[in-house]
Amino acid sequence: MANVGTIISKFNVEYQNKTPKKLKIIDAYLLYILLTGIVQFIYCQLVGTFPFNSFLSGFISTVSCFVLAVCLRLQANTENKNQFQDISPERGYADFIFAHVVLHLVVMNFIG
Amino acid sequence: MFKCSFSGFFLLTYLICGINGSIKGYISPTDSKKFISILSKSFSDDNLDFSSIYYGVTGYNILNEKIDVQIVKKACDFIQKNFKYGDDVEIILHVFSAWSKLGCTGKIQKEDTLKFLHNAIVNEKSSMADLRFAAEVLKLVGEGVPNPAKLALLLQSKLKEDDSLHNLGHAIHASVLLGSNGKFALDRVEDVVVQLDEVNGKLLQWEGGLSTTSLLLTGLLNLPNSKPFTQIQADKIANYLLTRKTVQTSKGIVALLEAIKSLTTSSVSPVSIGVIGKPIVFIEKPDLKVRVSDLFGAPLKPVPGPVVAVSATRLVDDVVVLSKQPLSAGSGQSEFVLPLHLDPDHYQIVLSVGSHTATLYVRVLGPVNMKSFEIGLSDIDGTSAPRLTALEYPNKLGQPLQADSSNVLVAKFALSKPIHQAFLRLYSPKKEIVFIAEQDNNKIYKVEVNLNSELTYSGSFDIELILGDPVMSNPIKWNMAKIDLNLGKDESEVKSFKGPKPEIKHLFRQAEKRPSPTVSLFFSILTALPLLLLVILWLKIGLNFANFSIVSLPFHFGFGSILCLFLCFWLKLDMFTTCAWLIPLGAFTFLSGHKVLSRVACSKKTEKKE
Repeated sequence: MANVGTIISKFNVEYQNKTPKKLKIIDAYLLYILLTGIVQFIYCQLVGTFPFNSFLSGFISTVSCFVLAVCLRLQANTENKNQFQDISPERGYADFIFAHVVLHLVVMNFIG
Repeated sequence: MFKCSFSGFFLLTYLICGINGSIKGYISPTDSKKFISILSKSFSDDNLDFSSIYYGVTGYNILNEKIDVQIVKKACDFIQKNFKYGDDVEIILHVFSAWSKLGCTGKIQKEDTLKFLHNAIVNEKSSMADLRFAAEVLKLVGEGVPNPAKLALLLQSKLKEDDSLHNLGHAIHASVLLGSNGKFALDRVEDVVVQLDEVNGKLLQWEGGLSTTSLLLTGLLNLPNSKPFTQIQADKIANYLLTRKTVQTSKGIVALLEAIKSLTTSSVSPVSIGVIGKPIVFIEKPDLKVRVSDLFGAPLKPVPGPVVAVSATRLVDDVVVLSKQPLSAGSGQSEFVLPLHLDPDHYQIVLSVGSHTATLYVRVLGPVNMKSFEIGLSDIDGTSAPRLTALEYPNKLGQPLQADSSNVLVAKFALSKPIHQAFLRLYSPKKEIVFIAEQDNNKIYKVEVNLNSELTYSGSFDIELILGDPVMSNPIKWNMAKIDLNLGKDESEVKSFKGPKPEIKHLFRQAEKRPSPTVSLFFSILTALPLLLLVILWLKIGLNFANFSIVSLPFHFGFGSILCLFLCFWLKLDMFTTCAWLIPLGAFTFLSGHKVLSRVACSKKTEKKE
């Protein structure tokens, strides 16, 4: 058990020191989305899914936001530079915004 | 058995003896009437010309119809007035031929025309048809063909150039006029006959249709000392000609009638044998009237032999029921009578007239009597005996039958003879249902109707018995009873299968019970909490607002307004309005965002370079 504790603390230290600030911001955003999604899921488990389309669009919204943010994080990460040579972090951010506009148009349409 | 083998032997002998067939059709009075009505139009003022007059008068002559005196006068006047000089040999022939056939008095100008014809008949450039027509005209006006030997040579040389069927036909016609000089045509007869086309083994014709066939047929049969056709060929040609009875032009009718006339007057005149009227006789009136005639329906002169019914065979089991019975003469000269004292059934009768035979199919019809009839009700489970009432045709049952769902309608009847069609029909003004009566082992017809399963609702129905057969002379349709049926279901309760289907209404999901406002509020706050966490985390990490410049303001403003637009879309706008707004806002945000981000990227690059 102690090993697990050390692994976690070591991981935390490494993360705090080595991760760029930009990515930390994105990670905070990801955590926020994750928590929101979990709250939505708990609600549907406890209270019910009615009206279903509203629940679904909300949940889809969080899941998609999470996915899009992960994509942004991948593209912005300097360690992945080889894979995304042509895509600057700014370009990634612009895609992120554009995808959000489209996504939320659909979500708003579906939410009822 | 003896009868069978006997008839087989009989037929075989006939076949060996080389019997000829016969044909069924002929130019009936109806056909003649139709021809006359078409031919009469040739004399109408609209299309009066030399050719139409010629075809009209020729057709009338062949049919032995008299032309009205007024019409004759009108036609003669027309020819006299309009014919001056001809340069078309066929028209000249039509003029002179019509003139003589109409029996016109007076004179027509012919000197110049005759000079023209004398030139044409020796001209090598004249066509075969022109040579023939010229020769015919010269013969018609009594001048005779000048120098027949030379014309014969000319015709032969023309044939060497082109011996098509059309040319051969005209050459044969011309050779008839040349007397002994025309013998060359006899060598061609076989050649022409070989070119007959057979259709389905029943028809013979020359390629080129009715006009060519008529031209060649009349030519060949006109040839002296020649017997071009066998009887079988003549019969097949006659069959072909009779299929062309539908011609609609006076020219076609004349071609048809000329061909038929030359066949009829030849030595191989086909014999037409057929039943007069419908091929049906009744037991009480058993005389079958048979017509034996030539193609025009006229009696044969001389009759080729006695008219004999060689055999009559019942079709169902091939039993010979009659043989070698001579027919007696009927009311007309071409009418013969065969009394058929036979049981009602279908029969095949083979007739012979001299060497000609014909096969006729005849029905003998007889009455069918109803020996007994019973109708009534029984129980569906068969516990009690059926309650049946006997009825006599054509009486009606006094009271309606009262039935309910536990009853079975039963009808039983016996007939003097089994029949093909026996039905019991239940009907009301709106509905009918027909049941088939089947014969059981005791030859009793029986219908059992399970009312509950066959009928859907209560009501009053008429019951009708329908009996029929091809050889039944008294078909029966007998409305014999009524039935009042009570099934406990009215007509209105029964849904119709027809008509529009019920309208489909969309059902939304039933609203479920909403949670209490407290719970909703609690979860709303819970959902918003991570946002707070996000802000705290970001602050902790330290957001860099240093780079924020006034340039990026339009982008943030644009993006914010898009999100506001989405909020409005959720609350009240529809998709179309939203999209209409989104396009300018999106464009603005795109441009400003592009500017901001490219600026950021540029500053990064310069940083790197430094």
